[in-house]
Amino acid sequence: MKCPDCDVEMTRHAKKVIYPRSEDEASLVDEALGGVLLERHTCPGCGKGASQVQEPK
Amino acid sequence: MKPINIPVILGTTRRGRLSAHVARFVTNELSKRSGVLTELIDIAEMPLPIDGAGDEIKDPAFSQKMENADGIVIVAPEYNHSFPGLLKHVLDTCLEEYIHKAAGIVGVASGPFGGTRVVQSLLPALREMGLMTTFTDLNFSKVGKVFDEEGKLKDEEAWARRAANFLDELIWMSTVLRYGRENVSQE
Repeated sequence: MKCPDCDVEMTRHAKKVIYPRSEDEASLVDEALGGVLLERHTCPGCGKGASQVQEPK
Repeated sequence: MKPINIPVILGTTRRGRLSAHVARFVTNELSKRSGVLTELIDIAEMPLPIDGAGDEIKDPAFSQKMENADGIVIVAPEYNHSFPGLLKHVLDTCLEEYIHKAAGIVGVASGPFGGTRVVQSLLPALREMGLMTTFTDLNFSKVGKVFDEEGKLKDEEAWARRAANFLDELIWMSTVLRYGRENVSQE
């Protein structure tokens, strides 16, 4: 995942299974994990944080 | 190095709350530290809708402040051995903003136990939010006797020393976790 401000690769430092929070996320539920896998990334350049929900495998 | 950002959340809306004196004191102590940015966030000044949850009722300003924070202080009075419901309601509006950031709790009580039970009751909730808590707390027992009528500490020197231990660890954790978020990847 690239930082939208710095265009450098962000650091993925967290993965957490959560309940889906929207219909879009509900379509991404990973049945093996029992929820959606939220990833948290932080930019090593500017410190900006960003999240994304991973596609189920 | 850019400053470490540690806002202080005043976690009660009640009239006559003595926790406001505590929150101002902690904010002031933090503001004396070089390389630290802080501000007081009063949940009584926030919109508190109760007709939704999470992102639906998220206050953009509070969300941005949590996003920008490296750590937080929560000043929490003890109500019936637990935390104020509105404090939990506010905290629950965010999630990603907190992940792998430091949190220190200041317990406030009118009784002799310094809010130890509000601290204990908050810990599991903060952990589930992704916050990493200090193991040093700051506890205000018998808060009605700690401040004078103008809201000034009667023994500021002693309280400054107690707060220093708490803040030293919180600043250290905030610094270490910021480095980790930015530089240490999970494979």
